[in-house]
Amino acid sequence: MNLRTYTRRENGPIFLALLATIAVVILVELIFVRGFDISKVAFIKPRNMANVLMQVSTTGILAISMTLVMVSGGIDLSIGQMMCFIGTGMAFMMRIVGLNDWLVASLGVVVAVLFQVLMGFIISRTKLEPFIVSLGFMTIYKGFTYLITNGSEITIVDHFTFLGGTYFNITSTFRIGMPVIVLIILEIVMWLVLKYTKFGRSVYAVGGNENAAYLAGINIRKFKLLVYGLNGLFVAVATMVLLSRLGTGNPLIGDGKEIDVIAAVVVGGTALSGGKGNVWGTLIGVLLLGCISNALNILGVNPYWQYVVTGTIIILAVLLSYFSGLTSQSVKTGSRKGDSQEAKKALAN
Amino acid sequence: MPDELILDMKAIWKSYPGVSVFEGFDFDLRKGEIHCICGENGAGKSTLIKILSGAHSPDRGTLLFEGREVQNLTPHSAMEMGIQTIYQEHNLFPLLDVVENLYTGSQITRGLVIDQATMVAKAREILEYLHSDLSPFDIVGRLSSSARKIVEIAKALVHEAKVIIFDEPTASFSQVETDHLFEIIKRLAQNGKSIIYISHHLEEVFRLADRVTVIRDGRKVNTYAIADLTEQKLIRDMVGRDVSLFYRRDELPIGAEVVFETRHLTGNGVRDVSLTVRRSEILGIAGMDGSGRTELAELLFGVKKAESGEIFVNGRKVKMNTPLSAIRQKMCFITEDRQLQGLFLKHALTRNIPIVSYTRTRTPFATPSDDVKITEKYVAELRIRTPGVSQLVMQLSGGNQQKVVLAKWFASIGEFFIFDEPTRGIDVGAKEEIYKIMIELLRQQRSIIMISSDMPELVAMSDRIIVMRNGTVSTLLEKQEINQETVLKHAIGVA
Repeated sequence: MNLRTYTRRENGPIFLALLATIAVVILVELIFVRGFDISKVAFIKPRNMANVLMQVSTTGILAISMTLVMVSGGIDLSIGQMMCFIGTGMAFMMRIVGLNDWLVASLGVVVAVLFQVLMGFIISRTKLEPFIVSLGFMTIYKGFTYLITNGSEITIVDHFTFLGGTYFNITSTFRIGMPVIVLIILEIVMWLVLKYTKFGRSVYAVGGNENAAYLAGINIRKFKLLVYGLNGLFVAVATMVLLSRLGTGNPLIGDGKEIDVIAAVVVGGTALSGGKGNVWGTLIGVLLLGCISNALNILGVNPYWQYVVTGTIIILAVLLSYFSGLTSQSVKTGSRKGDSQEAKKALAN
Repeated sequence: MPDELILDMKAIWKSYPGVSVFEGFDFDLRKGEIHCICGENGAGKSTLIKILSGAHSPDRGTLLFEGREVQNLTPHSAMEMGIQTIYQEHNLFPLLDVVENLYTGSQITRGLVIDQATMVAKAREILEYLHSDLSPFDIVGRLSSSARKIVEIAKALVHEAKVIIFDEPTASFSQVETDHLFEIIKRLAQNGKSIIYISHHLEEVFRLADRVTVIRDGRKVNTYAIADLTEQKLIRDMVGRDVSLFYRRDELPIGAEVVFETRHLTGNGVRDVSLTVRRSEILGIAGMDGSGRTELAELLFGVKKAESGEIFVNGRKVKMNTPLSAIRQKMCFITEDRQLQGLFLKHALTRNIPIVSYTRTRTPFATPSDDVKITEKYVAELRIRTPGVSQLVMQLSGGNQQKVVLAKWFASIGEFFIFDEPTRGIDVGAKEEIYKIMIELLRQQRSIIMISSDMPELVAMSDRIIVMRNGTVSTLLEKQEINQETVLKHAIGVA
């Protein structure tokens, strides 16, 4: 398979962009920082690679369900503040109320799912924009968070250590934490769900043409409840992962997370209009943004510049998928195995 | 004075990609007359409006306005010249009040400041002239449909219209509202305005018109002074086409058993519709645009809920709450607008064709290899011309897209089909293939309700025809009674 046909595969362009970014980062570090000594390049050290994976795990988990939401034509701005709310809420239950970890975890999941289902209920029964409805919920969660914490953080040392403190040593310097394992498992599960279930087909159908999906017998209302409910489940899991890693229920624990997540999903090739996107593209998007942020740290770039760079990357990535989308349409016709002759005939008819 | 022409169209040609609408169309309008336009669905009435309002420009031909030739008419220049169109749908700003609507884009100003007082005074004057009790400060969105029509007429007067085009203005009007509107239109004509009035309702034509022009297939058939016109002449001119040249379907024995029945179905703009469909039968539904045909289909398929009435499938009473309940009864709905309602344009054939079949099984799983199998089966069976099953649907031609819609329903193993405008916008060859497929369905003991604006098509294909008018059934025609004249008479309310 040559490069040209590769860029026409669904995740082709974004994967190439990830490779190119990694190459650029390595070159820049090699030339400008390490004086051409490849052994000193910190970015490609196994320890750093493991670090990047750990850093992107929460965003990655959230991005999986956000892909689902966005492919089916919705969007959810509330996830960041929901994390703050659920996170501080769980910390409160453990530290102040003194409930056991498993009970707290189940409560967190139930509350997150219920609130998301409520949001899904409003979105599916009315014609209100998910953008606005989730904006409202975002603000509500922010209020809850400060009502719970009064603005201060609740430390929870020695809770949820199973998630944050379990590591698998692959080599002496490369170890994979439980959050990464959770990410990979959820990734594979969701990939299978999208590919092999009717629910997965509905995700694309509803996002592609809600009207036609309704007329084809898909229960749109039930479907949307399910999508947002699942999103709640993923938010709860991501919150637990982050909570256990940080060991504290900070009221800002998920602040601004929705932006990172939506950015990664969009960079990963999901159309804002719905109907197009997949979880592997999203994972690549997450890794791409994660690598860039990590590299900027290593290179010692002023953290404020990191926003500027990340923002630029988002726009470039979207432009990339826009232009690759434009060209793939005309080419796809002839590129399928051996039927280009037939294609010409068909188009002539 | 009465014979002075304000508008003269000579030999106008207009075609859209794939279809030629006007082929040498002539039309003239006198000063101060009410000129009605009659024609079947698709005869070219809306194209005439589009050309006169400057929305579309003709390919060839001359257009004279007040004796001067006009070229490159745009919506803006048409209004400036004094041609105003009052469309079926309202073109007002619902959140603004009457004055603001009247003067949108043409506010009276004193220097840089908007002269509210003058505008209000003028608005009052015009509303008074129209014998309307509307206040200039009423919010348009809260007005009734007929009051909004008055606002639109007032707006035309603000713009000093010389020609006012009315497109089906009385849809959803009561008798009193219609009478009031007619009074206004007649007064406008007496004061020298020229009126083009388009309507499906013949009694309106005979009440209003000074002259009537009948158009058919993009040509003027005749223009009559109202005194010379009879209903027979009008119908004959409107129909014209020879059905015998049309597609000849095979006649098949119709089963005695009633597979689908409605009793007094009401809701969604449809009133009291009772109908039956027998096994291996095509029941045609005729009617002019807006007569409630598609609305009826939506009720039958559960897209909209009925307010009252009953639906029976195979003799059992069923509730049609959602399309899913209809699909569970093995019903299929080939919708009027395949792109908006039927297809996932940006998805492959394999994502389109199996979609309804998922509702048939209980498992939560879907198998990609089965999707490909099903898709390949129907691509072959319906001869869908595509380079492969992973082709995106938007890259197919209109006829092939329509076949994808059919394949989607065939894959669901349906028993009872509603076809709403099955051949709209597809070429002749593809049309005939669709007809053949429909007849094949009958041969397999399936039944069809067919809605179509294409009269020859409907007459040629139907075993019986229900004619709809004003949201209800105007008559049921048996096979031997079906011909274009009879169908049209019932559709426009002459019979």
